[in-house]
Order: sequence, then C-alpha cells, then structure tokens
Amino acid sequence: MMTRSLKLGTSVLVAALLSGAAFAESYGPYPITEKSYSGDKTNSVAYTGQVARNIMIDSLKKLAGQADGGANAEELKDTMMLYFARGNKEDLAIVSHKGKDGFPITQTMLNEISSGANLVGKTYGGLVPGWPGNKTGAEVVEHMIHHAAMSEGGVSNDLGYDWGQLIQKFLIGAVSYNQAVDNYLDEKMTADNKPNNKPYSDGAAYTGKEHSWDEAFGYFGAPAHALDLSAGDAYGISKKTAFDAGDANGDGTIDLKSEMTFGNAYYAADADKSGTDYLQTITAAFIEGRKVITAADGEALSEAELAQVQAYAATIEDEMTRVLAEATFKYAGSVYGDIEKIRADKNNISDELYRDYIKHWGELKGFAMALQTGRENLGGTAVRLNRLIGYGPPTKDESVVTGIDADGNFVKDGKMSWNAYQLNMLKVQDLLIKEFGVEARKNDGTENLANLIKVLDSDSGGAETD
Amino acid sequence: MEFFNEVIGLFSDFANPKKRVFLGYLGISLLIAFAWLIFYHKTNIRGAIARIFDRKIWFSGSAQTDYKIFLINRVFTGFISPLLLTQVAIATAIYMALVRSDLTLWGVYSDVSIGVVVGMFSVAMFVADDFTKYLMHRWMHKWPILWPIHKVHHAAETMTPMTVYRVHPLEGVLYATRSVMAQGPVIAVFYYFFGDSVNLYTIVGVNVIVFVFHVTGSNLRHSHVDIKYPAWIEHVFISPAQHQIHHSIAEEHYDKNFGAALAIWDWMFGSLHVSEGEADLEFGLTENEAHPSSDLYTAYIGPLKEMARVTASFWHRITLVVRRPRGTATARPQRAEGSSSS
Repeated sequence: MMTRSLKLGTSVLVAALLSGAAFAESYGPYPITEKSYSGDKTNSVAYTGQVARNIMIDSLKKLAGQADGGANAEELKDTMMLYFARGNKEDLAIVSHKGKDGFPITQTMLNEISSGANLVGKTYGGLVPGWPGNKTGAEVVEHMIHHAAMSEGGVSNDLGYDWGQLIQKFLIGAVSYNQAVDNYLDEKMTADNKPNNKPYSDGAAYTGKEHSWDEAFGYFGAPAHALDLSAGDAYGISKKTAFDAGDANGDGTIDLKSEMTFGNAYYAADADKSGTDYLQTITAAFIEGRKVITAADGEALSEAELAQVQAYAATIEDEMTRVLAEATFKYAGSVYGDIEKIRADKNNISDELYRDYIKHWGELKGFAMALQTGRENLGGTAVRLNRLIGYGPPTKDESVVTGIDADGNFVKDGKMSWNAYQLNMLKVQDLLIKEFGVEARKNDGTENLANLIKVLDSDSGGAETD
Repeated sequence: MEFFNEVIGLFSDFANPKKRVFLGYLGISLLIAFAWLIFYHKTNIRGAIARIFDRKIWFSGSAQTDYKIFLINRVFTGFISPLLLTQVAIATAIYMALVRSDLTLWGVYSDVSIGVVVGMFSVAMFVADDFTKYLMHRWMHKWPILWPIHKVHHAAETMTPMTVYRVHPLEGVLYATRSVMAQGPVIAVFYYFFGDSVNLYTIVGVNVIVFVFHVTGSNLRHSHVDIKYPAWIEHVFISPAQHQIHHSIAEEHYDKNFGAALAIWDWMFGSLHVSEGEADLEFGLTENEAHPSSDLYTAYIGPLKEMARVTASFWHRITLVVRRPRGTATARPQRAEGSSSS
C-alpha cells in the first residue's frame, strides 16, 4: 500500500501545494467528453448518490438518539432500516443536516439529492472480526440497529455502547471508505473495467472512468471547493459554524450536493487542525486524477494515463486510511483520558463522565472497525487492534461484553480492570503510530509525560559542573 | 531597547532559582561565610569582610577570565536547550518500551499516596543526577580525551562562585547530555509505575533537595572559605572544603572528591578525602600542565588541539596493532614474558 504510492505521492503533494498557492481549483465542473451522449448537459460530474449515502450514514446516528427505552423500539427499528436499506420509491427526510438561522441548507429531503441510493447494497461484504457473531458488514449494522432501537437515547449504559456513534463511524468505513478505495479507485481503475471510451451506463453524460472517479470523490465527502478551505473552515462547515466558507457560489444557502463536508473528509480536516495536510492532499489528488481522465477526451486511457490515475488513486487510498487511523488514535486517547478521570474515584463515576466515556468508546470502536474495511487485509494488525479494544469497554463494575449468544443478545461475563484497559489504549496508539504513521496524534496518551518533563524543566543545575 | 534586553538576558541566571548563582543563594552563601569566619575562625567583622571581598581573589587574572568565559559561553547555551526535546524522546521511548513489554505492572501502584510518590521521585531524580555527575566528573579527570576539556575549569587559580561557569562549552554540552540520559529513564520508570502522580517536591520551582544543596552554601565550593563538616558527615555530603581539596594542586589531593552533593560515591569508589583543616590550599594546574589561567585562546582552542593530539596518538597505536605482520603476532607472548613493564 505504502510502496504503491511512493513514487507519485510526492508529486501529488507538490501539485497540491502549487495548485493551492496559485489558484484554488474546484472539483468540477468538467466538460462532457462522452461521445455517445446526445442530451443537453454540460457538466460531466455527478456524485449525488454518494452524497445521499453520506447523509443517510449521519442520519442513522441522529435516529439512534430517538430511542426511548423500548416503547418505540419496533417503529424506530423500521425507520432506521429504511435509512439503511430503502427501496427505490421511498423519499426520506434529511434528519442529520438541517438548516438553522444563519446556516440555511438547500435540501430537506433525500430525493432532492438522489433517489434510490441505499447503504445496504454498498456495505462492506467481508467478515467483520471486530464485532461478535461472525457477521458481514451489513449484518453488523443490522445487529446494531436492532439494539439501538431498544436502547435509551441511543445508548446502552449497561453494555457500554453508544449505538449512534458505533453505526455512523463504522459506516464511514464500511460504505464510504470501502467503496472509494476498494471499488471505484481499485478495480474500476483498471483498463477493461468501466473504460473511458464507453459511457458509464447507457445514455449517461459521463464515461466509465469519469464517473467512477467522481463517485470515489463523492464518498470521500469533501466540498468541491475544499482546496479553498482551511482545515478549520472545512470542519466548521460540518459543524454549521462556517457558513461563508461553505457557500462557495454565494447563493445564500449550503448545497449538500457540493458544499458540505462529510465523513472521511470531515475527519481529514479534524486531523489537519493539528498540522497535517490530509484534506488538501487527497482533494488535490482527486482533482489531478480527474484532469488526466478528462484530458483523454472520451478515448480509452493509454497505459501511461492509467498508471498516472492509479498513482493518484494509491495516494488517496494511503491518505484516507491514515485519516481513519488518526481518528482511531484520537478516540483511543479520549478513552484513555476518560479512564484517568474514572480511576480517580472509580466507586463514584458521574453520569456525565460515564456518558462521555461510552461515547468516546463508540467512536473508537467504530473507527477501528472502519479501518478494517479497506482494500487490504490488515492481518496481524487487525487482530491486535481488535484484541486490545475488545467487543466492549469495561463498564462501571469492570465487566465487559465477551460475545453474543445464538439470539444475538450480548453476553457480558468478562472482567477487565480500568487499569488494564487504559494501558490497552496506550498500546492501541502505539500500534497505530507504528503501522500507519499517524502524525496529527490528537489526545496522545504520552502527552502528560511530555508535559511533566516540560514542567520539571530539569535543568536543576543539569549543565552545572564542578 | 532590544540591546538592553539582550544585556539583561546575559545575566538571567542570577534571577533563576534553578541556577546556583541565583542572587538569593549567593546572599545566603555570603551569610554562611560570615558566620563561619566569625564563629569558627574567630575573625573580627572587619577581617571577615576583607577576607570575603578580597580584591586579590575577585579581580585576579584568573577571576577575570572566569567572568569573560561566563559571558562568552552564553552564546553556546542555545546549543543545550534542544536537549530538552531529546529528554522527552528518551523518556517516551523507554516508557513505551515498558508499555509494550510483558510486564503487567503499568500503573499498578497508582493508588500509592501522592506524597510518597513525589517524595521517592524527588530523591530518585536527585540521586540519579548526583551519581552521574560523579561518574562524568571522574571520567573527565581519568580519560585522556576528556581531561583537556575539564582542564579549563581546573586552570582557575583563585575561586569565586563564578568559577562554576568557567568551563569549556563542550563540557557544558556533555553535562547537559548526562543530565538528560540520567533523568529521562528515571522519569519514564516512575511514570510507568505511578502515572500522573509523579511530580517533584519543589521550592521556587527547584527540586527541594537541590534547593537545600544551594541554600546550604553550594556557592562556597568555589571560594576560599574553607567550610568543613564533621568527618562522618563528609562521608555523606561533600563540604566546600572537600571540593577545594579537589581543586588543590597538592599531590595527595590528586583525583579526590569528584562528588557534587553526595560524598558516598567517592567513599564507595575510593576517591574520598575528608578535610583535615588544610589551610591556604593552592589551586590550579601543576607546572607540567602549563596552562595559562588567563588566556582565552588557550581556554577555548587549546582543548580542541589537545583532544586532536590524544586522538591521533590513540589512532596511531591502533594502526600499529592492526598493521602488525602476521608472523609477529605469534612472537608476542614470548616478548610479553620477557617484558616486566607489560
């Protein structure tokens, strides 16, 4: 994975910096090069299905919060399953991205963006070893939805699960990341799959390669004008605090189809606030790759062009993988910090602290599972990660979930001390540094040690000699 | 204004309680010196003043060189600061190695009362620092490659508290590196066992033990005030008189009292010399060392030249051994038998 991108990775970075400095290019619009197209469209870019999926992922998190302890379980489960596996006809309300005063949003219903797109058909089909029960990605999500609907406010305190966080973070990997790196940027960037001299589908305004590339960008989730944005602004758009930065066309409203920051791009921006450059690098690689495809002008890509496009794809894959590793690192650090506070008075854990801890663990677990839905099997790294994090966190009495029974109910007969689990969080961070080279390192568990040394400033005559 | 700040910056050590020459410590040392001269030596006040502020000491050529070296060395202190980063790296690396290890002792003592942890840590940091100072100091005297550097300090013929700054910049770097190497592992190990409870007992931001060392007259080590302790205490703590013996050119004082604060290292490794009321010690280098005490060029460049010479001669000896023809190797044992000097 690393070596594949080594050669062109640097040139992408340089291109990113140059294009960023000179003039900030948007992703699209790009001209129509598909020769068989006879309609009146002038822009070949389309990734609305991906935007809809990113919205459904976030909507599932919001919906989980509506669980009221059992009374609405059946109804809520049906609703959540609609967002996960809707049919062609259903239109659904956008519950995750609602406009507010000072931050109007163009769309309120999913069909205003794309009709028909669902999540279940695009969810990672491999086995998910981080979750009990030998389930595929889609089965894991269904299992989570089932329990989320029965929970209180989307949280099962006794088990230690925050369902909204688990579902959303896992799907950021199992749908968006997986589809981008393991499908559109992988097999669809080979010569014979979705060739550039044929439309993506009959009558389409875009070629096979153009649309495959656009879909991957859609899954990444960056605003089309991301190169124009600071990390803080790209992040702020999603938090509804950076309206001016988001409204690229100045029409006074945020168009979810091109001006919002979703999932993977949002966490790229989050890491970048600590000094990395993931969002810019990935977006620039997408733009440069698309330019190579567009320049082929509807002809099949030559070997050299294909190699160029594949090199950009490799950079995108590496960087997106590291973004997920950064997010996993960050939340392992949050859990580490929460346990530090819990241990200070472990017989008297406040509801607020425990709630934060469960939330952070859900984010950690969701991202750790997301990280394992890429093109490559992580092998031993995945085993270590899953064993360190476990199926569940230590709950108030230090008991932990160890698996599920034949009916899918959780079995919680394990014990894990706060101490041992906190140490595991350090080991998770250590593993992520070693295997993925994370650089932003938010909430680093060794931060306090470094701070201690700075406070000691041990020059107590250190250089004094006699 | 900027120039003014720069000048003030040169003398910032006098306002920094982490430094021995902090004005507070100097003031206390002054009081101790007076008390010693008046109560122990029965000197009258006028005599004590004359003794302490002796122009022949404070403005001797040797002392003037101390002051110049102090100022020039400020330029080099910037080279030492990055070592703090190294200390974080060393401590983190050791800590993470322990975390990765199969030891299951991480944080298991985090319930130990903070007072005990902080007490143990303060002592451990002090002991690690003091022991490595002893070792480094001993090597400075015993290793031919290091002695030229340390000689700069021993060239002082009169001693004032400022003599502590009379060192070659390389020595400053070596001592700071030693500090990082010694304290990094202590911090890592304590943090592994005790987590965030780890801290120092400090007074004015200084390890309390170091603070005690300073307020009990550490500045008088480099002075002509011969404060000594009872012999049994001098086996545990180095008195100013003992350090003055270390600077003495008398043959019986060679390579004695390398210790900084604790005398136990000297006691353990056979280099202890308790004070015996020696009067009017002569400080500096012996004649065969020929080292002008007031020549800055010799102070800064001399050691480099001498180190190059020592290295060259060492290298020469190595190449002689390596290049020795095979046949002669078998003859060596016979030669050794016949040689009484080998």
